[in-house]
Formats: sequence, structure tokens, C-alpha cells
Amino acid sequence: METEAPREPHDDGARIRTTTWFVLGIAAMAVLGLFSVRCELGPNVAREYPSRTLPPEPQPVLMSAPPPDEDYYPCSDCHELEDRNPQPRELEDEHDDLELAHGDLWCLSCHDLADSDSLKLSDETLVGFDESWRLCTQCHGNKLAEWRAGVHGKRTGYWWGPKEYRTCIVCHNPHSPAWKPIEPLPPPRPPQQIAGRVRAEPSEVRHEEP
Amino acid sequence: MKNRDDRVPLDARGASRRRFLRGAAAAGASALAAGPASALSFDLEAFFQKHFREMSQEDIEALQTRLERKYESRYGKPFNVASTGPIDGVVYGYGLDIGRCIGCRRCVYACVEENNQSRDPEIHWIRVLEFEREHALRGIDLEEGNPYYDHEKVPAEGKFYVPIACQMCEDSPCTDVCPTGATWEEPDGIVVIDYDWCIGCRYCIASCPYGARHFNWGEPQIPADEVNPDTHVLGNRPRPRGVVEKCTFCIQRVRNGRYPACVEACPVGARKFGNLLDPNSEIRYLLANKRTFVLKAELRTQPKFFYFYG
Repeated sequence: METEAPREPHDDGARIRTTTWFVLGIAAMAVLGLFSVRCELGPNVAREYPSRTLPPEPQPVLMSAPPPDEDYYPCSDCHELEDRNPQPRELEDEHDDLELAHGDLWCLSCHDLADSDSLKLSDETLVGFDESWRLCTQCHGNKLAEWRAGVHGKRTGYWWGPKEYRTCIVCHNPHSPAWKPIEPLPPPRPPQQIAGRVRAEPSEVRHEEP
Repeated sequence: MKNRDDRVPLDARGASRRRFLRGAAAAGASALAAGPASALSFDLEAFFQKHFREMSQEDIEALQTRLERKYESRYGKPFNVASTGPIDGVVYGYGLDIGRCIGCRRCVYACVEENNQSRDPEIHWIRVLEFEREHALRGIDLEEGNPYYDHEKVPAEGKFYVPIACQMCEDSPCTDVCPTGATWEEPDGIVVIDYDWCIGCRYCIASCPYGARHFNWGEPQIPADEVNPDTHVLGNRPRPRGVVEKCTFCIQRVRNGRYPACVEACPVGARKFGNLLDPNSEIRYLLANKRTFVLKAELRTQPKFFYFYG
């Protein structure tokens, strides 16, 4: 008759220990799991904001163009002379400081010979200096569409509210409309130059043997 | 009455020191007698402050008052700390014309002034990267951009410029990795930071593919006469040391309908801003009519900051 092998006491102990660790492990995981769910629900709950709606948008404000140069305007002070020369030429006596870099345009492309205080559209309609944008947009029609949509030109004020537009000659010199380079503001400090936190170049880092 | 001891050097004033210690002990005892709450109430309030999104309206109002008091005593002028919420039906979008940007950095410094960035240590939310024009054909590699260019006049010959700030990603890695939930996307698309819940671990800085987040390594220094007192809790209020900060599309301005400061500062009008949900907005016009792209589109972070060629 076979008798049951005598139990070794340390066998029991090992089983109890294993079970205990297992249960403890499950419990720890459950606690961590609950904690993570709590974290997820905690700060990530969307905040209830009071409702805010947009009022109807007011009309935009057009920033008026700068007044014509007082040194020259009104042009008729000088240009009432009898002998007018309409020929395109290098200007020598007057307006010789004026840089003309606008395609193949000549003074009389935009200014009127007879009425020197007015500008002249391509269909001979005369417009005032305050409406110069009508002249520009005869050629730059695509820019007009983009300017109306707010994509060309600078806008300030409110994205929803009174916004300020600028006409062409606020930013562009009509005689030389290309943007002129300007001085930039200072660059950010490179990490190497930050006071008190001088960072060694990789080649200067010493690797000392213990 | 003037104390006789004032005339002797500080370290020789044994009697004075004894008197001081006695005084300090007495002050400490009286503070304890009055209860720790009165002595520490200011700090306790901050210590037990809830996460911004768990605060009630009263909690937020209390926070605003506490912050206003703090900044007024620090900078010596009246402060307004707003908590203006998002507007229904508005998601902000930004457009930048890289064909027009001249790299003049007017936007960088307008942003510093508007948003109370530390002057020393220096923090700039906008970085303007300079690239070789001839490299543009094979695409922009942001690693090649140089933010430290210093020319006499810009734009420099053969270069183009890409200003970078927070791209307001729809699927933002920075908010995913934050262990305390201190940064999140608001309903109007602005990714904001609760500076009181940021623990400064900088995981978000590591996760941001655009380098748009900045850390306050030192106590931020802003001259009192330059500090902007018109602030927002989640935006440009002065930050403490050890927290992360970044562009918020000027949350204190745009939630009141205004353009961000950088849009107003740009001399060439390269910066565009508007409501992505409004079909008549300028941002929707340029998305429909211009060649637009986003930076690192392959990461699928879905930025709401669009670059275009004007």
C-alpha cells in the first residue's frame, strides 16, 4: 500500500508565498488601473464655458492714404506753364531725385498733362489723388481681389470688428513700388552666448578617466 | 528714535543680533498663536488650487483676484487678468505668406512685448528661420534653418524666411505626453497651458516637432515699465520660473475679436488670421485660392497654422 509521501513543509510555504504575491500583484494593478482612470477623468474633462456668440460684424474702416507731398502738391503751381513737354526723358531740372522703377511707365501714364492735379485712368477718366488705388488696380486686378478678401496687404484692428485696411500707396511708393530692404531687429542669443550658462563645445568636453 | 547700533558694522552688533533673534522668536510665536492659516493663507490658496478645467466660476474669479493682487504688488501698476472663454462657432486659423515675409523680426519683438516674455533669460515665442532660396525646390528641411542670421538689411540676397511659432495642432503631441494634463486644446483650437499645473518636466518640449515650446530656466525678468498688464489666465500673464510657455495666438486679444500682435506688427502684411469656420474669412479665402502647406505634414499633427505663397 502506497502511503502519501510526507509533505515537505517548505512546499506549502512556497505555494502560500506565490499566491500571496499573485494576489498582491493583481491588487496593485487594480489600484494603478483605477488611478489611471481617475487621472484620465480628472483634468481632461472638458470645461463648461458659458456660451459666447459673435455680434454682427461692423463695417471695415479704410485707412486713408497719406496726403500728397506738400513740397510738390498742388502740381498746378508749377505745371501751368504753356510749353509742356510730353516726351519721355531723363528728368534733370525738377523731380530728379525721384526714382522711377515701375515697369515701362512714364509720368503721363498716370498723371494728366492738361489737369496736373488729377490722375488719369486708362479710359481718360480723371480721378483725384485720394483715389489712386483705382489707377493701380487697372493693371493689378488680381491684387485688388485679394486685397478685398484681406489676403493682400496689411490689416490691423479686429478679425471680427472694425478692421483697418490700407490703400496701395500707404505701403508702396507708386513710382517705385517694390518693397525696399529694411534693417532687421536683433537675432536671438545663441545658446553659447547665454551669460552664466556657457556651454562647452563638444571638442572641449573632457573625458577624465577615474 | 535712531538706534545707536546703526553706526557700528553689522557683524559687530552682538546686542542687535540678540535683539533681532528675540524679536523673530516673538513674531513666530504670535504667528503660531494666530493659527497657521493666517500666516500661510496666501500660499495655501495656491497649493490647493484646482486644475483650471475643474474650477468653478467662483474659483476662477478668486484666482483672477489673487493673480491681479500678486502682479500689482510686483510691478506696481493695475493688472487685468481675464479668463475670457471661447466663442461659439469659432476655430482660429493662421496664414503666413512666405513669399512675402522679409525676415525683419518685427513680429518676434511685438510678441515679446504683448505676451510678457522674459527679457533675461531671453525667450522668443517666434523664431524666424532663414533658408537658402536654391534649397526651396527640394523642400524645406527645418534643421537647415538659421535663426541667428544678422544682416544689415533684409531680405538678404538668395534667402527666404519661415517664421515658426506654435502650430496649434489638431492632434497635438504636446498635450498627449503631458503627465499632469497641464496643457490642452481649447474648443476654439488654441492649445493652452495651465502654468500652475505645469511641473516643468519638459516632455512637451521634447514631443513638439516645431520647437515651439519654451522653458523658463530662470526667474523671468520683465521691466515694470514694459510689462503688459492686459493679460489672460491661460495666456500672457507673467509666468513663474520652471514652467513651459508658448504662443497662444494672443488669446487675450483674439477672444475679444482683435488680431494677434504679430499680425499687426508685420510691415509687409504677410500674416493672416481668422475664423476657420467662417466661409467669408480671409483664412478661408487663402485656403481656397492659394497654394498652402503645413510644416511636417507627414507627422499628421494637423496644424491650424498654414503657410502659403502669395
